[in-house]
Amino acid sequence: MSLQKIDAKMLSKMFLAGAKNLESKKEWINELNVFPVPDGDTGTNMTMTIMSAAREVAALGENADMESICKAISSGSLRGARGNSGVILSQLFRGFTKVIRTQTQLTVSVFADAFDKAVETAYKAVMKPKEGTILTVARGAAERAKELAEGGGEDLETFFRAVIEQAEYVLSQTPEMLPVLKQAGVVDSGGQGLVEVLHGAFDAFMGKEVNLDLNAPAAPERKTGAGSSYEAQANAEIRFGYCTEFIILLNKPFNVKTEKDFKSFLESIGDSIVCVADDDVVKVHVHTNDPGMAIQRALKYGALSNMKIDNMRLEHQEKLFKMSESGKAEVKAVEATGVAGQPETSPAEPQMPHKEVGFIAVSVGEGVNEIFRSLGVDYIIEGGQTMNPSTADILDAVEKVNADTVFILPNNKNIILAANQAAELMTDKNLLVIPTKTIPQGITAVINFVPDISVDENEQTMLEEIGNVKTGQVTYAVRDTVIDGKEIRKDDYMGIGDAGILAVGQDMAKVTEEMVAAMVDEDSELISIYYGSDVDETAAEELRDTLESAYPSCDIELQAGGQPIYYYVISVE
Amino acid sequence: MAKIAVVTDSNSGITQAQAPELGIHVLPMPFMINGQTFFEDIDLTQEQFYEMLATGADISTSQPSPEAVMKLWDELLKEYDEIVHIPMSSGLSGSCQSAVMLAQEYEGRVQVVNNQRISVTQRRSALDARELAAKGMNAAQIKDTLERDKFNSSIYIMLDTLYYLKKGGRITPAAAAIGTLLKLKPVLQIQGEKLDAFAKARTTSQGKSIMINAIKNDINNRFGGFTERREVRLAVAYTFDKDAALAWRDEVSAAFPGYEMHMDPLSLSVACHIGPGALAVTCCKKLETE
Repeated sequence: MSLQKIDAKMLSKMFLAGAKNLESKKEWINELNVFPVPDGDTGTNMTMTIMSAAREVAALGENADMESICKAISSGSLRGARGNSGVILSQLFRGFTKVIRTQTQLTVSVFADAFDKAVETAYKAVMKPKEGTILTVARGAAERAKELAEGGGEDLETFFRAVIEQAEYVLSQTPEMLPVLKQAGVVDSGGQGLVEVLHGAFDAFMGKEVNLDLNAPAAPERKTGAGSSYEAQANAEIRFGYCTEFIILLNKPFNVKTEKDFKSFLESIGDSIVCVADDDVVKVHVHTNDPGMAIQRALKYGALSNMKIDNMRLEHQEKLFKMSESGKAEVKAVEATGVAGQPETSPAEPQMPHKEVGFIAVSVGEGVNEIFRSLGVDYIIEGGQTMNPSTADILDAVEKVNADTVFILPNNKNIILAANQAAELMTDKNLLVIPTKTIPQGITAVINFVPDISVDENEQTMLEEIGNVKTGQVTYAVRDTVIDGKEIRKDDYMGIGDAGILAVGQDMAKVTEEMVAAMVDEDSELISIYYGSDVDETAAEELRDTLESAYPSCDIELQAGGQPIYYYVISVE
Repeated sequence: MAKIAVVTDSNSGITQAQAPELGIHVLPMPFMINGQTFFEDIDLTQEQFYEMLATGADISTSQPSPEAVMKLWDELLKEYDEIVHIPMSSGLSGSCQSAVMLAQEYEGRVQVVNNQRISVTQRRSALDARELAAKGMNAAQIKDTLERDKFNSSIYIMLDTLYYLKKGGRITPAAAAIGTLLKLKPVLQIQGEKLDAFAKARTTSQGKSIMINAIKNDINNRFGGFTERREVRLAVAYTFDKDAALAWRDEVSAAFPGYEMHMDPLSLSVACHIGPGALAVTCCKKLETE
């Protein structure tokens, strides 16, 4: 018997099944990334995006109408959007649901219109749409859908099969459209993600038993939880039960040595340590099982104020309880469980003093975070290559900054779209995105901010200045590949510049020096080195000395960045 | 026509040697260095000062003693009818306040000008005062003319280091809040009042272009634009590093062709707050004398 229309109940089921299927393929999609850099990019980002929508849909229950399901899909994915592919996916859903929300029954021709609108919306969201990506795959599918509808086909099964077939065909052609894909020998990962969503939805349509319980583990090969299995994750993560915060009002100088001693003491009793010293106060944050010890020790340096101790295990139970009640797992909660692997470093002040202009930076690594703070950044969103914050994370951060205009520095090219999306959703504040692609660009942007001049002038200057910084980043390859004609083996060191790979090899120092050589020219004045958490200070100092003798006309500045994944982030200006 | 003496202090950058030539009387500023008092350009040269600054000596600035000020005035009034006294900016020092108070004893014969100048802009005021006197103005008229003009000047200074700025206290909190984890070259401004933060640069060339653009901006928006009559005066100043300053002067000259370019070392009371290696550019609107 041929089925010609589906109702809201089936749509909901298909959407959830699509989400589950994407989730189960997440790790595999991650590995399709072109750059063999160690990150959890596309699969993780798309999964987190769709899961945010799936939770909202699931929370509606079985008897929700089309309108509410559409709203849940659209707003859930929009708020949960992470990374470029996640943002594009959310835009596809937004366009798709615009068409179907007014219908009670979905037919071939409604689906064709909805696919068309989805593609149109997604293309508009991207400033320079690139072919050979998820966009092309979506467009191929939508065009096929249109042909079929115009041809008068009404059977949904035939229709879905043909559309998915076309999507898979276009996907297989992506390496022909983007040379980087061909060189790396992979298809586009975002396109693959979209195909997985379609597959999952189709399986549900065909009546295949799919476990729609969002909290069930999706696939055995999954290594890390991405939101859905937060419970297991959380209990494993909370090793230290008390979140302890206070401010020391110093009664004697707190020099580098004392700071180091104090930090290593804190490290011996806990983790997630933040210890920020100003001239006369030190702000301390630590997760520990013995808050008393932290306090005892701190009293040696001065009087304490603004003390706050929370039992994170208890709070966590409450949070889980509330979430299971509402069926919703807010992104924020995922963050609080430590999936990000980082403490929330911006102290949650009750209310920051109001200012005209505020700054938010996406950053990772205590050293880099501290540099941003010292330059006047009001709020740090922990994130970067391996952890792209979602639109919702960004909106939350903006909420916390008490300013009329907020500049956001994404500091990673995969976060710019989510920031742009947040700027569009923001209504009560002026959120301006300075599209910084690297940490040094972000640092340059905030340095060039001048309080006395207008927001427009500042935006203009920052946009100009970020173009004058060259960035190179040293990391390792996660698999064998060929990029820009350079053969790269797994575990090789790579020096990646603004426009591609500058150096490859087995010797980290050599790769770094070669990368810097490709960046410096006769106008260069300053080379800044931010060394990561996996580089020891001595090695970094050796690099500085080598660069100093190689480029006598340049100032060399060495900073402990503390960032993961990138051994060195180096800027030349 | 009244015979008028023009007095300023050594912050103007006018040396004891130049003073008689220019027809200006210069009060030396006192410095306390490691507990001992020195006078700028009398028993303390620029070289000695920077040497002591580099060795971390405890240097503090002070204002000329009332005794020294009144002694000079009394001496001058034997020969002149009136005095125009131009101290360093009241935003940076109490010298002006004290002078105003002391002048009350002189029944209008001493006019203290509160026009908030420092360094090369203060020097300019002293020269202007001389010219106005030559045109026949009395001391009170000169004071009014100079004070009416007080906002028509700008100074931008790029520092080589934040160290001295943090050590001293004569900056606004905004300037003090400049981050110190990175090596930054702060660009400060003086618009009459105190030293304030203007911008930050990571490299010298960035800082220089910030200053040149700031001056262009001031000329266009505040000082009547770039005209054929060139109604602004530009000058550059520096602390300690004269070679860097000469190169800087050439760059500024290239950016403002056809403008004469005076250059002086910054006075020591400014230097002691900003340290060696600073470069500055200033611009003053020419006095409108009808």
